[in-house]
Amino acid sequence: MTRITIERADQAQQYQDLLQEHGAPLLVLDCAQLVKQYEDLSSALPGVELFYAIKSLPHAAVIQTLKMLGSGFDIATTGEIEMLREEGVNPRHTIHTHPIKRDRDIRDALRYGCTTFVVDNIWEIEKFVEYRHRVGLLLRVSFPNANTKIDLSRKFGCAENEAMLLIQKAQSLGLHVKGLSFHAGSQCPDARNHVRAIQRCASLIEEVYETTGKLLSVLDIGGGFPANYMQSVEDIDTFCAPIREELRKLPDHVRVIAEPGRFLSAPTMKAVSTVMGKAKRGDSTWYYLDDGVYGSYSGQIFDHVEYPLSIFSDVEETERAVLSGPTCDSIDVIAEGVEIPPLSIGDIVVGHQMGAYTAASSTHFNLFDKAQIVAINELPQVTDENVVFLDQPLQSEPVDFNHQHTL
Amino acid sequence: MKTFTETLYDAYGQEFAVDKIYFENKTAHQHLIIFENASFGRVMALDGIVQTTQADEFIYHEMLTHVPLMAHGEARRVLIIGGGDGGILREVCKHASVEQITQVEIDAQVIEMCKEYLPAHSAGAYDDPRVNIVVDDAANFVRECDEQFDVIISDSTDPIGPGDVLFTSDFYQNCKRCLKQGGVLVAQNGVAFMQLDEVTTTARRMQTLFTDQSFYSAAVPSYIGGIMTFAWATDNSALRCANVDKIAERFSQADIKCRYYNPAIHVASFALPQYIIDALNEVYQS
Repeated sequence: MTRITIERADQAQQYQDLLQEHGAPLLVLDCAQLVKQYEDLSSALPGVELFYAIKSLPHAAVIQTLKMLGSGFDIATTGEIEMLREEGVNPRHTIHTHPIKRDRDIRDALRYGCTTFVVDNIWEIEKFVEYRHRVGLLLRVSFPNANTKIDLSRKFGCAENEAMLLIQKAQSLGLHVKGLSFHAGSQCPDARNHVRAIQRCASLIEEVYETTGKLLSVLDIGGGFPANYMQSVEDIDTFCAPIREELRKLPDHVRVIAEPGRFLSAPTMKAVSTVMGKAKRGDSTWYYLDDGVYGSYSGQIFDHVEYPLSIFSDVEETERAVLSGPTCDSIDVIAEGVEIPPLSIGDIVVGHQMGAYTAASSTHFNLFDKAQIVAINELPQVTDENVVFLDQPLQSEPVDFNHQHTL
Repeated sequence: MKTFTETLYDAYGQEFAVDKIYFENKTAHQHLIIFENASFGRVMALDGIVQTTQADEFIYHEMLTHVPLMAHGEARRVLIIGGGDGGILREVCKHASVEQITQVEIDAQVIEMCKEYLPAHSAGAYDDPRVNIVVDDAANFVRECDEQFDVIISDSTDPIGPGDVLFTSDFYQNCKRCLKQGGVLVAQNGVAFMQLDEVTTTARRMQTLFTDQSFYSAAVPSYIGGIMTFAWATDNSALRCANVDKIAERFSQADIKCRYYNPAIHVASFALPQYIIDALNEVYQS
């Protein structure tokens, strides 16, 4: 995939309309795309319960959409809990996955009603002694990962050979370790890490039963399901095939859950920015956009991702250009050395696959306003479903997308 | 059908069919709901945990009130901590011999809401001329209070909720200061089978402050998991030993109608199961 696609000028109209209504810069959140991502992943991993990692894109429309689809939620902080509470998410459908917590974080989660927590070391296990009758723990085990864009096995997770000891220690303190979790990395190119980790966890589950007589009944296979950025990736069904195969071998009593973040959120949002100024510098034309790496494009720094871009022009000639963000910092550059037709002030630049770790990590640097998030194609609200903790059957009728926008 | 699932424990819980929602207040920090259930009548839950129900509240409120008042025998001034639903107040007001009742509730809205949606809890007790309502943090109130009471009743939420300061040594110490000579402090202390730590923690904190410290119990169906314990702390060890005839005499004089409490239950409620005694012995020995 090339970095910049040059689309016909009239293709810009749909974005112009949104800018007209909401102003620039914008992030356009397409809930219909989110539904598709959720359904694709659900059918690629049948029988696996999905807990959306809300850190990747903590937004009310995302939570509402996934809640209606029956998704659970993976939370890590009190701020995330507050958002779920506001959105009326049943805490029974949440897991707290931050391996390191303060006592008040644990209490906040318990007050919300989340009772599943992740631990990966003895000091963390000891924090739960006081709450031992109320909680179920997942032990996060770290398996070294090859080939992943972002390796999550370094910062968190106990070593495989420590797992048994930690489980026994927890049990001796009266704690209920109900399962294992692992993270195969983020944006994995293939499922090799997942498969190996599932195999290792399966033998650990067996070993724990043989040694302690206790059943580990949950396996959390984390995330890592890839989104399409510049490098094309396997489609999700192909990616998950070896995982499915491996999960089939698990004992019947093991309930499998996953924590997808990026796969669900990345394709659901586009950044719509405009050119606020331009200058000739050396052999390049510099375009200063109203959004940059301190804003929605922050994932270029923190998430190590380059997003596919679109501009809109019917001019054939191209020239060398730099697309820069608005702040005073010279690091604030989105794309350099690109060959594009000349743009005018006010023209639109669209960033694709910009749902995950974009708005989530954007800053107010220079006190520039963050891009406003505009949700489109939201699912119709179930009218009296706004009661927290109340379980209701999900609407069974197929969702009507006849009137949806297409972007 | 709507259901309410209590979220107190990870591996065990109770579920209520919800026939009708009367009230719901949901903020980012707290979630309060009052609904109708066919078996328990009106149910109030805070942060996913049942606080009180219309059908079985009498057990809790009668036991938390009449046991200390009847054991004391001459209580004139009573302090109620929390108890915004008015159930304790209703029971205390039944004692004609009590002259003054102070109730400290942190949230005035809770009182108003309960008057409206759980009117049978207070049953008009808030209009009793002996009652003085103070809207304040109870931990703060007892710290600054210069009055003294014969009986202090702590009717708090659980120690993980907003009531956590009402389970601290500081709070107990200030309560002791606010007790008249020979007065007694009682406090809601959780379901011992599920949360034995709450019993041992309270025992550890109270036993250094009071010469007589123990627990009594009652089974309240909607507080699931077995008997609920009530902490008992006083410097007058005779209170706990009053025999059934003495209690019966006082009860008959007081002329109070109860549905759970009676003199035999009063005396028997101080008998604790062996697993609690063993846990307490460990605390007292250390």
